[in-house]
Amino acid sequence: MTLQRLAVPGAILAGIIALALAPYGLKNYGISILGLWAVTTIAAIGLNLTLGYAGQVSLAQGAFVGIGAYATAILMAKGVPFGATLLLSGLLCFAIGWLLGYPALRVQHHYLAFVTLAFATLAFLVFRNEQWLTGGIYGISGIRRPVILGWNTAPERAYFHFCLIMLVLVSGFVWWIVRSPWGRAFLALRENPVRAASLGVDTRRYTLMAFAIGAGIGGVAGALYAPLVTYIDPVPFALSFSLNLLLMVIVGGGGYFFGPFVGAMIAVLLPEWLRFAQGLYLVAYAAAVMVLLVFWPSGIMGILDRLLRPADPNQGAAR
Amino acid sequence: MNTKFLTGVLAAAVLSLGVAAASAQNPPIKLENVAELSGPGATVGTNWKNGIDLAIAEINAKGGILGRKVEVNHADSQSNPGVARSLFQKAIDANPYALLGPGYSGSVKVTASLAEAAGLAQVMGGEAAELTMAGHKNLVRTSFGQQSSMPKIAKYIAEEVKAQAVAVVWVNNDFGKGGRDMITKELAARNVKIVADLSTEAGQADFAADVVKIKNAKADVAFIYLNEEESARILKELHGQNVKIPLIGETTLLGQKVIELAGVAANGVKGHVGLTTDAPVPAVQEFRKRFQAKYNYVPDHNGIKGYLSVYMIKAATEKMGKVDAKALPAALHNITITPDKEPGILMEVTVDEKGDLDRMSFLGEVVDGKQVIKQVLPKLK
Repeated sequence: MTLQRLAVPGAILAGIIALALAPYGLKNYGISILGLWAVTTIAAIGLNLTLGYAGQVSLAQGAFVGIGAYATAILMAKGVPFGATLLLSGLLCFAIGWLLGYPALRVQHHYLAFVTLAFATLAFLVFRNEQWLTGGIYGISGIRRPVILGWNTAPERAYFHFCLIMLVLVSGFVWWIVRSPWGRAFLALRENPVRAASLGVDTRRYTLMAFAIGAGIGGVAGALYAPLVTYIDPVPFALSFSLNLLLMVIVGGGGYFFGPFVGAMIAVLLPEWLRFAQGLYLVAYAAAVMVLLVFWPSGIMGILDRLLRPADPNQGAAR
Repeated sequence: MNTKFLTGVLAAAVLSLGVAAASAQNPPIKLENVAELSGPGATVGTNWKNGIDLAIAEINAKGGILGRKVEVNHADSQSNPGVARSLFQKAIDANPYALLGPGYSGSVKVTASLAEAAGLAQVMGGEAAELTMAGHKNLVRTSFGQQSSMPKIAKYIAEEVKAQAVAVVWVNNDFGKGGRDMITKELAARNVKIVADLSTEAGQADFAADVVKIKNAKADVAFIYLNEEESARILKELHGQNVKIPLIGETTLLGQKVIELAGVAANGVKGHVGLTTDAPVPAVQEFRKRFQAKYNYVPDHNGIKGYLSVYMIKAATEKMGKVDAKALPAALHNITITPDKEPGILMEVTVDEKGDLDRMSFLGEVVDGKQVIKQVLPKLK
């Protein structure tokens, strides 16, 4: 029993150590892809909270990442230290998520998807057209990587390690939320909102909370993205990024804690691994994703869950 | 018998070692290309890639550069600057002699600093004015930047067409915005009024509303600065709504791809052409034939740009007399390459200290579905 209890934390620790050591065997390209994976995973973790746990279909996560990235780039250019911009980006997205949530969460499911889609488009237009603030289509270049407590994160490897630390912190935060009374309320909302309301859960407040926290985490991902790429323009934050994040959460397994990790790995790394197929690599990627979703709609974590725990009648919604 | 056999084996071994040593002394020159092979820039990237492949095949058939064969590896940026940056990193990790591409200006912007940090030459296709203004010492163009082409267009509109009021239609990406900002400035300097300033989307399918605005603005001339497919769509809409004012563009609007897609609607379009396969230059006509024979389509200016990128590297390397990746960026600047010394360059070109080009260019018109060159604008210097 004790061994079993130790197995999961042990595996997680081994995973973190393996990731921390991974860049030593890789060239700059491999490290930058790993960094991209870490940042994308953080964004997907935020969406998983909104979609996977609280059941709200959001197409705005890419826009929140964009808002976080622009906030960080603009504030850093004004001389604000990175630590503060990181926090402010998260808080700004939390606040915008909350404000957007008030009108948006009056509707559900695909209607909510449409409202958030409109928001994502609007955010893109602001990034592109408000040239005085965002640099318009030319974007903002020359974003520096920060020095954190004397640690210069400019080299690819150092910045990846910083992103990895942030990924561990964000994961820990979400782990705590999901197991807190809030997380239980989120699950109750997803499974049966009427029943949750009858049990005294303030559905409106908790839905807003799930949406806003997910948005805030997206903002943190954006704050990390800007120094990773060192240049931002509106194009990467267009609607397709939000759709891609949605794909990651669903392919990885919505509502599974490790779903976004696996989903982001597939979305970021699989096309890279398939590059040997040259002109056909995007076709191969699309085909792989379609086969997965047709045969295993609960995503990769869903398959693993079924394989590892074949028949456990006590398994409820919490996973 | 045994000794003879042994001697034979030894001789063979020595011979094969010798061959191996010789090929180790002459390893191939490796180039890395990152281009828009899928996504909205696929036409640009595919032309560029095929141009590169054609040039390399020709160079290798004639013995390579300084006796060394040339190899290239192509990578697809999906027309996305973030992906282009990662792939550029990968290209640099492969330790190439020089970097080629990308074609989209935004992607050039994110990659230029990487090439500079690595000390490698980057011969690219982007046309946005600001690319060579940022002071990257490793960046070289293969075509005019907007700061070279737009003054020529503005002069043409103001002095030859004698227009007073112009409608400017542009695609709202870094390419279109850069051109729009530059033409606006140049037209204002010549006291020509812009009566409609119409921003359109990349990938836009319906231009009906934009054409109505052009009509209502009572412009003497419409200047159209869009990517290939959108150019064809707006030309069809202008034709459909019976707009009769002169339609003027820069290179793309008179490009082969646009003429094919727009059909009769392209007739009458005029403009400045930096690089065109219809140029009245025999070397360019020959290039077009070879390209068409190999790839079964008529290249646009991006095909010529890709082709020239490799020949620019060849000429600079031969001028240095050695294959030295770190010295190549400097050798590619302040250089004039003439077709009598390097026939592959097609037209005489001078690269200045910033990486901008000076080359002859053309004023053309589409007549009966064909681009016809009406006037040759000589090199400035």
